[in-house]
Amino acid sequence: MRFSFFRGCFIRVRLPHVEKVATTILPELGVELISVEGFTCCPEPIGFTVNHPLTGLAVSARNIALAEEQGHDILTLCNGCTYTLKQANESLKADPELRDRVNEVLAETGHQFKGTAEVRHFAQVLIDQVGLNKIKDKVDKPLTGLRVASHTGCHILSPPEVMGFDDPQVPVKLDAMMDALGATPLDYAYKTQCCGWTLSNYGDRNAAARLLGDKLAAMHGAGADSVNVICPQCLAQLDTGQSLAARSLKLEFRLPTLFYIQYLALAMGRSLAEVGYDRHRVRDPGFEEKLGRILA
Amino acid sequence: MVLNVPYTYHDVKGVTEAAEICLRCGVCCAVPEYGCPAQYGPSYSPTFTYVYDCLGHDEPHRNPSIWQCVSCHKCEETCPYEVRPIHFIEAMKARALEAGSSPESITGELEQVVETGYAFPLTANAERQRQELGLEPLKATEELRRIAEATGLLGLLGRLRK
Repeated sequence: MRFSFFRGCFIRVRLPHVEKVATTILPELGVELISVEGFTCCPEPIGFTVNHPLTGLAVSARNIALAEEQGHDILTLCNGCTYTLKQANESLKADPELRDRVNEVLAETGHQFKGTAEVRHFAQVLIDQVGLNKIKDKVDKPLTGLRVASHTGCHILSPPEVMGFDDPQVPVKLDAMMDALGATPLDYAYKTQCCGWTLSNYGDRNAAARLLGDKLAAMHGAGADSVNVICPQCLAQLDTGQSLAARSLKLEFRLPTLFYIQYLALAMGRSLAEVGYDRHRVRDPGFEEKLGRILA
Repeated sequence: MVLNVPYTYHDVKGVTEAAEICLRCGVCCAVPEYGCPAQYGPSYSPTFTYVYDCLGHDEPHRNPSIWQCVSCHKCEETCPYEVRPIHFIEAMKARALEAGSSPESITGELEQVVETGYAFPLTANAERQRQELGLEPLKATEELRRIAEATGLLGLLGRLRK
């Protein structure tokens, strides 16, 4: 399986350790990641595309065109990138008039959108193309007994007819992915509630903190040792956002949050230090000790 | 070349008509576990929801509340009358940019992406971390400027800055 590797910009600028883990671990599962010169921001859906849709579409079309020129589908590491690129891809494939308009804009760059590539989130690739059975085979250190609250995130779920990942109201895929690593997936209230990153950054920081407090309390109440995410903004909000909200809300617990590929790496024998856990804001000795026992 | 295309992602007339059939039932904001994140704002209640605030404003594109919408689609998924408030709010954000009433967080990000190709500033700290991890350095690109010139965004941002 070969993919044009769309790293996005949030991961490259803010969470490079996630990029590092992905580039090391995914190839071990037979997912070949090809670097493509010239990929830009997807662009970011809420801060960019909705505000000037034609430019947003054209920038997405240019990114997709770069992958088409390589002859590969796109693999992303981010719900937002997937949301933007999939919607652009579907709109441009379905509407020839729109495609002509966007290609007229792209003529300035020397690229043309043809509609020959698909856009896939890494979680979709792991489930549909690699398969959870292959992941189970690769697990050296099952995460037995680790209680994990998964947060799927809004923009990989909706609109479901375009994203095609999971049921937006009752998502189950991430739980199956954690189960494949031997961990115990948890059900909790607020499972489908937004992480609040966008609300915090473009809207109301305090509202976002209250929302996050409710979500974290529900995870903690369900007995979670840690949180699992598949989106860099969700990771930033549940990690850095949690460390900030913990002060204003006086939270009495800490829930370390890891990206799914970090859990995957741990189950494949890597250490917490090797997956970049030291770079996270929310670390917890109780979690570290329990994981240490599990991995021993 | 500037393409003069009055293009919007969603048909503004269509979404405005849809907004008029909102029954104010409040389902979109009724369930905190599965509902509108912006409802966490201090001024909202079961009788004055975030969605009524956005749909009921006299000049909806000048209502500062539209910037709280995170495009999570939950209102669209729960609305029993298929009003799709998200489409209305997004169309109003696009209209706000044309009218010059978008906040700095939006115009700043539009400029940042157009000028560098990244939505987030390329900091020295980011470069240092990437170097430590043995990752390739970040490169800015000029191509998006050409796209934004052709769509009229660059000209619009220039006028807004004056």
